[in-house]
Amino acid sequence: MGASAKPGRIERKLARWGVIFVTPSIIFFSIFSFYPIIMALYTSLFKKNLLSLKKPAFVGLSHYKYLFTSPDFWNSVEATFVFAMGTFLPLLVLSLALAAFIMSVPKAKRFFQMAYYTPAVISSVVSAAIWLLIFDPRGLANQWVNFIMNTPGIDHRWLANSMTVRISTMIVYFWKYVGYFVIIFISGLASIPPSMYEAARIDGADGWQSFWRITFPLLRPTVVLVSIMSMLQCLKTFSTQYLFTQSGAPQAPINVITLNIYNTGIRDFRIGRASAMSIILFIIMLFFTWLQFKLSKADDVSY
Amino acid sequence: MIDSTKKEKLSLIFMYFVLTVVVVFTVAPLLFMATASLMPSKDIVKMPYRWIPKGFHWPNFVKAVAGNDGKFMFPITIWNSLVVAIVVSATTVFLACMTGYGLAKFKFRGRMVIFLMIMATMMIPFEAIMIPLYLVTTKLGLQNSYGGLIVPFLVNAFGVFMMRQYLITFPDEFLEAARIDGMSEIRIFWSIIFPNSGPTIATLAILAFRAQWDNLLWPLLVIQSEKMKTIPLYIVKFTAEKHSDEGAMMAVALLASIPMFALFFALSKYFIGGSAVYSSRKG
Repeated sequence: MGASAKPGRIERKLARWGVIFVTPSIIFFSIFSFYPIIMALYTSLFKKNLLSLKKPAFVGLSHYKYLFTSPDFWNSVEATFVFAMGTFLPLLVLSLALAAFIMSVPKAKRFFQMAYYTPAVISSVVSAAIWLLIFDPRGLANQWVNFIMNTPGIDHRWLANSMTVRISTMIVYFWKYVGYFVIIFISGLASIPPSMYEAARIDGADGWQSFWRITFPLLRPTVVLVSIMSMLQCLKTFSTQYLFTQSGAPQAPINVITLNIYNTGIRDFRIGRASAMSIILFIIMLFFTWLQFKLSKADDVSY
Repeated sequence: MIDSTKKEKLSLIFMYFVLTVVVVFTVAPLLFMATASLMPSKDIVKMPYRWIPKGFHWPNFVKAVAGNDGKFMFPITIWNSLVVAIVVSATTVFLACMTGYGLAKFKFRGRMVIFLMIMATMMIPFEAIMIPLYLVTTKLGLQNSYGGLIVPFLVNAFGVFMMRQYLITFPDEFLEAARIDGMSEIRIFWSIIFPNSGPTIATLAILAFRAQWDNLLWPLLVIQSEKMKTIPLYIVKFTAEKHSDEGAMMAVALLASIPMFALFFALSKYFIGGSAVYSSRKG
């Protein structure tokens, strides 16, 4: 920065251009991001029905009070967290392991990357539709699981009971995103200088040791980033659960918060209550974003 | 010494084994979609599943395209999805590049505040604002139209962030030289900055295209008429109504995925680049 005492004419002209370039986006974000979140907060304090013409009545925090005692909402919170934890932990551990494996077979690196990433290319609705058929009682899921566990002819009721339907949604999500996270980890691993491994090798470290002593600590920022990112992704899950319930799967075990917001606000027209749910979801996600900032600041490594 | 090379070989075999098992897991459902789309429903549910179709069961694709009501809505929904995805990619790229340029290369009061405000919108999940957004869209008279599908996604904070990070490294000398030559600021943006941001723009365009091709929640809210539906809505309706006709279901799924597969195999580098962006936290 030139720290000039009085900005000259050219600087002022340039500053004006800078403002011109950013103005369209500022207008956009004001209307389509800031205004809606403020409106959501505001609406959550009113009893508002989408179809009624009555002036919405101010009800204060009673929507929040209602939600905190509503078994239906707690069920959604539980469903969301069960889904998020059950998806993101295996996703994190396995994609890191797979990325490390792929890095040690450089010849086949491209093939594996492409093969893992392909499911991420198709849309979530299509993947839900495919898995709907795989989880059919006569589908591939039963055939494979029965083959592996040697239990011929058993129907595992993938979409029928509350435990399995949860696992089914997790499998779909895992399938779709594993390649995505593998690639993120690969680029994280690729940024670790090979000289460090050579040094470790000369000192007599084996693969396992160099993974835990070198790779893992240096990769921590990527691990933190990926875990928070996938956690946030999982908290927002919607398509799979929506399509599964539309096709007759039981709703309660997979009634995640987003699905509940949709049903409350759009199907039942209770805008106020749905807005209160939105704000709660927003706060949960804000917490995780804050956590990411805090954790990633703590371990900025340089090498 | 011999022992350690043997151990290394064993671990290599183990790694290949695990990697291959996962390949089967990721690829088999896609192969299932492709093969099942060619079979009559009674073959699909046969146990065990036969991976090689006996022939080409055309009626699946006819049913997929004609729909349950025989109104041939499929081509229309594909067209709608294409329009939305292409327009959104174009505006995202253009606006993100412009905003990123303004934030990266000009000094003005409040620049940092504006940047942080835009970044803050990344923390607002779409799901949390969809209902007020729906009310705004209705107020603007955009429900059930292309405008309603497109306008909320004209640009996104991540795009602005990516373009800014990229343009910060853009050499100032080029800009100064162009100014000395008397080029207008708009021309500098249009003929120097924009054409020189190729890879970042491609990555961003693909991200935006995919997000729209995949978008279910928002069209579910703003679209009511059959004619304005996008692909995800068509698939949901088709699957829910025709849960029994597996072959036609997979034919729809396959047809809907073709544009994305085509993009992926042509431009896989940018797809993969798009996800790798997250791991680099420079600047």
